[in-house]
Amino acid sequence: MSAPRILSREETDALGHALDAIRDDVLRDLGSRDVEHIRRIIRLAHHSGAAGRLLLHVGIDPVSFVCGVGALALAKILENMEIGHNVMHGQYDWTQDPALDSKSYEWDMVCAGDDWRHSHNYEHHTFTNIIGRDRDVGYGWLRVSADQPWRAWHLVQPPLALALALLFEWGIGAHDLRLDEWLSGKQPFSKLRARARPFLAKARWQLAKDYLVSPALALWNAPRVLAGNALANVARNVWTFAVIFCGHFPQGVRFFTPSEVANENRADWYLRQLQGSANIEGSPWFHLLSGHLSHQIEHHLFPDLPAARYPSIAPRVQALCKQYEQPYTTGTFPKQLASVARSLLRLSLPLPHRSARHASIRSDFSKHLVDLCSEQQ
Amino acid sequence: MDAFYGPLDLVMPYDVRGGGVGACTMSSLRRFAATWRETATRRLFLREGVELWLHELDPIWSLTEIRARVVDVVRETADVKTFVLRPNRRWHGHRAGQYTTIEVEINGVRVRRCYSISSSPADPRVAITVKRVPGGRVSSWLHDHVGAGDVIVLGAAAGDFVLPDHEPAQLLLISAGSGITPVMSIMRDLAARNAIRDVTFVHYAHSRADVIFRAELDALAGHHPGLRLLVHAVDEGGRFDEEGFARRVPDFAERATYLCGPPGLMARVEQLWDQAGAALRSERFALPTVASTTDSRLVRLRLARSDRAVAVTTTGTLLEQLERAGERPASGCRIGICHTCKCRKRRGAVRNLLNGSISREPDEDIQLCISAPCSDIELDL
Repeated sequence: MSAPRILSREETDALGHALDAIRDDVLRDLGSRDVEHIRRIIRLAHHSGAAGRLLLHVGIDPVSFVCGVGALALAKILENMEIGHNVMHGQYDWTQDPALDSKSYEWDMVCAGDDWRHSHNYEHHTFTNIIGRDRDVGYGWLRVSADQPWRAWHLVQPPLALALALLFEWGIGAHDLRLDEWLSGKQPFSKLRARARPFLAKARWQLAKDYLVSPALALWNAPRVLAGNALANVARNVWTFAVIFCGHFPQGVRFFTPSEVANENRADWYLRQLQGSANIEGSPWFHLLSGHLSHQIEHHLFPDLPAARYPSIAPRVQALCKQYEQPYTTGTFPKQLASVARSLLRLSLPLPHRSARHASIRSDFSKHLVDLCSEQQ
Repeated sequence: MDAFYGPLDLVMPYDVRGGGVGACTMSSLRRFAATWRETATRRLFLREGVELWLHELDPIWSLTEIRARVVDVVRETADVKTFVLRPNRRWHGHRAGQYTTIEVEINGVRVRRCYSISSSPADPRVAITVKRVPGGRVSSWLHDHVGAGDVIVLGAAAGDFVLPDHEPAQLLLISAGSGITPVMSIMRDLAARNAIRDVTFVHYAHSRADVIFRAELDALAGHHPGLRLLVHAVDEGGRFDEEGFARRVPDFAERATYLCGPPGLMARVEQLWDQAGAALRSERFALPTVASTTDSRLVRLRLARSDRAVAVTTTGTLLEQLERAGERPASGCRIGICHTCKCRKRRGAVRNLLNGSISREPDEDIQLCISAPCSDIELDL
């Protein structure tokens, strides 16, 4: 893939207008089929969840156990990805339906809805991929960009990443606590405690629901239900981890320094989203199970458009990237996973790892800045 | 089967009534249990689950919403239909003259409109009578798409266009066009309680054929000698004029008066009452008018929760202007993507600065960081 061309102010603004036009086209076209889609998925998730619980609770054989875990995991994945994540983004706020309201929706996982709305909808989507501002870059623990300084603990980041994959909901849940800032002394304990309150309350009830109430209802089948719930949660964790890491940290995705993004306008923000995300190719079912975050580029450009629309606008976004010689990072799931794994392994070492491509962008960019300055003089 | 059975209450509102030390302990225990149950219901996602399964069983069953099934649609005149609704148990009745908010889903968007209830409170079925407004989204939708068996969402009955508890001896009801609906509810209520003692009912319509509920009104006038019915057809020269009105109802100023009709008529009637030094009660429905996009002018922004009024301009975003006024509403990205500043607009019109669309219905959610006011507005802040 070629390095992105540095666009002039006029080109960037034209690209911004073209993207706004795509957004307006979708907004104009929103209607009953979008609502029907999300309601269908909500029903599917509920039915699948009920079927899973039924199989786990009343079955005694391993086949019904595996099917039960699968159905429950499917329900959790749909609820977290296509329903929870997307509804909380405000993708269905235009319907004015209280059941699809972004501010009051609460999802079925240990991360508290309000924490998520702050750390994800606001911080991550506004300051996407700005090192030091976007706390989703490596979640404070992992080194996913050569621009992040190397620390000794990065040596163990491959097993750390695996652990994070298994416990991903806990990582997300504790994300807004800023534990790393407390460890480095930047956050007093009192503040950490205040931040932890909603998370701990949510986590307590989630643990009670999956590992106390639900097994208790199964009476003699309690151990089976407990194990099934745990497996379904882990399956959902690994899946979301994989989708999210493939959308943000494969090779080809760009990161930014705060000085690069000073005085950004809306078009610059679009450009940063475009360069800072990656897509995953797959079937319609794959897209659905990823909450359409397999179209991370489109999602980052238009976080509050109904996600099921992303596949239909992707060709237009891709055509714009071609026209403006911008990267449109995409690949199959195995390819992107391998790319993320390679990155995590390589960046665990303290080697000066700025790739040649990165260096060239950076030097192009500084050259461009120098040009701009000299033009103004 | 009659679908009038509401679902179980998962969250029981407990009456806390005092009386002795034992009762006090009991009441605090109950309060504790109620809070705990509320939390458990929310945290274990029981409400969402139950709500969904109830909906699967019968679409009007709900723990949270007043939903009603349309049981009959009556064509009243060429452009007026009455929708007879059977609400679920969330509905707690209405007083004659009140309105309800009806919520229909048009192309995926829930739209709300206020309609006066035309039925008597004694009737377990709730009727709304809707005139098709040319270009009106909701009225046209109701006329064209809603039939028996459909389900719509209602709001709790509201409004103070009602008779006082101590009912006045002499009553004057004035209505025009579809403004007859709340007045008809009052009439039906009086008739059901056999309480029509001295009522003068003046109604204006475009033509005889446009008089809504004409047959029923005639029948009421036949049965109740205390009812004086004056129906005017504008096409027969029956237009409202002050002198003629004062001649036909000479004691108008002494009568407790209820008025509902189009703005023009209401203004003239109100003026007449002003001149006579008398008071009347009126009901009006009008959406705010929207200023042109370019000129900047001052409008009044009311913050409902803090009960504060702020002067704002029609060109700046609500978020910036609120912050300048010392308010700290929740906000995030300030470019319209994160929806942190989403807020319920109670009334008034605002313009979305990103795409120019205008929200003018009451009780719509808006994003403060990309909305500018177009009229006096009230926010749920």
